[in-house]
Amino acid sequence: MVEVRLEGVTKRFGRVTAVNNVNLTFGDGEFTALLGPSGSGKSTILYLVAGIYKPSKGRIYFGDRDVTDLMPNERNIGLVFQNYALYPHMTVYDNIAFPLKLRKTPPEVIRDKVLEVAKFLHIHELLDRYPAQLSGGQQQRVALARALVKEPEVLLLDEPLSNLDALLRIKIRSELKRIQKELGVTAIYVTHDQSEALAMADKVVVINRGVIQQEAPPDTIYNEPRNVFVASFIGSPPANIFPATMDYTEEPCINLPGGTRHCVEDEYASVLWRMKPSKVIVGFRPEHAEIVENPVDGRPVIVGEVYTVEPLGRENIVTVASEDIHLKVITPPEVRPEAGELVYVAVEKGKLMLFDPQTEVNLRYIAREWSQGG
Amino acid sequence: MGEGIGEGGPLVRGTMGIVIILALLLASLPIIMTYSTLILTSFANTIVSSPWVKFRFTLENWRLFLEGKLAPTAGVVYTPEDILRFIVNTAIVAGGVTLVVLAASVTSAYAFSRMNFFMRSGMMRLLILLHAFPGVALIVGVYAIYVFLNSYIPRDYSVYYSFIFVIIARASLEIPMAIWILKGFFDRVPWELEWATIVDGGSRLTALRTAVLPLVKPGIAAVAIFAFLAGWEDLIYVLVFLPPHEKTLATYIESQLGSGTLETTYLPVVAAAGTLYLIPTIIFFVVTQRLLLETMSGGLKG
Repeated sequence: MVEVRLEGVTKRFGRVTAVNNVNLTFGDGEFTALLGPSGSGKSTILYLVAGIYKPSKGRIYFGDRDVTDLMPNERNIGLVFQNYALYPHMTVYDNIAFPLKLRKTPPEVIRDKVLEVAKFLHIHELLDRYPAQLSGGQQQRVALARALVKEPEVLLLDEPLSNLDALLRIKIRSELKRIQKELGVTAIYVTHDQSEALAMADKVVVINRGVIQQEAPPDTIYNEPRNVFVASFIGSPPANIFPATMDYTEEPCINLPGGTRHCVEDEYASVLWRMKPSKVIVGFRPEHAEIVENPVDGRPVIVGEVYTVEPLGRENIVTVASEDIHLKVITPPEVRPEAGELVYVAVEKGKLMLFDPQTEVNLRYIAREWSQGG
Repeated sequence: MGEGIGEGGPLVRGTMGIVIILALLLASLPIIMTYSTLILTSFANTIVSSPWVKFRFTLENWRLFLEGKLAPTAGVVYTPEDILRFIVNTAIVAGGVTLVVLAASVTSAYAFSRMNFFMRSGMMRLLILLHAFPGVALIVGVYAIYVFLNSYIPRDYSVYYSFIFVIIARASLEIPMAIWILKGFFDRVPWELEWATIVDGGSRLTALRTAVLPLVKPGIAAVAIFAFLAGWEDLIYVLVFLPPHEKTLATYIESQLGSGTLETTYLPVVAAAGTLYLIPTIIFFVVTQRLLLETMSGGLKG
């Protein structure tokens, strides 16, 4: 298929900059998710790749071909819209056949291709119906069939699952991934749902306010968020984030809320020594901490009072108030402390994340950039 | 489609339904009475002005009317009129106005809805202002244009010119409102539908034709009805700009009821003319009504 490359792409709508100087590569045959809150510019990037929007600055390449000035119909893309955008006055068959008809494909070939793609997506029994007579999941498949029937080099999906109910979403999620791998098509998938992005994508691109926050495989996005935004956007519930002061005696030590101290020994230590920030932003994931009765070993511990307990069956979400900070901890179902109880929150070793208070960048990444730079 | 309002839908069930039906009947009673008077009279030997009038059924009125013979009882010598020609004239004016209004308003409403150009919102507001002027108030100015242009038209083509002028002048009165109505319909068609067509390999024009226009059909039908009726019913523009012998049904009926003729006119024949005058309106409305209520949905969410 083809690799899609954005070089220094900026898109402005009037005075609003929707996408700001984005450099991004969508790997050949890869499934890339563009993840961000609404208004982050993720859909704009998709429509820039589609050619529906023209970049204000920068170039877009499909492989070696510069497509920046090409119309959508000259780009060989398939696009699935959030609202499916099926033609309501055409049958399912005509909807799927439409792109081929516009290309003046011979009728016999159209028939064969439509039937083939319809069988592939299990909608061949619906071909005579109108979109209004289909369920959401079926409409979604018709939209996908219309995008796939012209054998596109790039498949673009704009929140295709957001109008489906939760059960169907999980079912189609895995199906969509299978289809993409089977066809080997380069896929770009826009979503605001992190679980979709993490579950389906080979690579996740987190976007906020038109700027790329992090571009990495799902594992890395989850375990090593590049900045505070990514850490607080990913995860359910997202990571606990709070400021803390530092002091440097024998080791760089963090003064945690509730009056405890934690001295850093891992790879953060060298950065902290070099930068000597007086404050840091601390983060950890709710699932990387536990509630303990006594502080033990060398784990970072925060003292607090239980604020609320939300039992979810498989687990509990316990909110602990320490000073004026609320921390969430996921506990096994049997650990269900009373509200008001004094507890210790112990964070797993190596799972504490530290961010620069000014740039909000994960200090780990600053350390890596230094070691790469010499 | 069978469910919903009417056809025994939830609206007309129960006591509330009976109340609603009674209220509707009461409200439309004056209209029903006038129309039934008109239609009954056209088939009667006298004016059916109340339920107690005794009358005899006859087709005589229609025969006289279609032969162009008015005022047969007063013993006045009359010249037969070419009714068929009036019918054709009416159809030309009404059809012409419809076509001109549709061509102008569909294209401009699409532009107002979908394109960004200089003074777009200003022009939309100007359209409302234009609509606020009654056609009668403009007639002096329109007449001046008529005379000015007429001086360039060879005498042989004068009749054609008059027809074209009437059609365009009458249509331009309808266009502002038509654009407003249609813009509302275009605004409701999601951008994605057009984008889908363009991504699928179509041009902007293909998108308009295949994806957008089918969805604004109800709007087009509404505008077509208004335009057709405007042309069909028009009195003043036809009266002023068409040569005196080129009448439409409206001006013909008017001429029969006008001052000085009413005493000599046999009203049952005029009733036949009035009934005929109604028929196309009714047919047109019945045909387009289905379109008016037709809403295409589904396949679009969000």
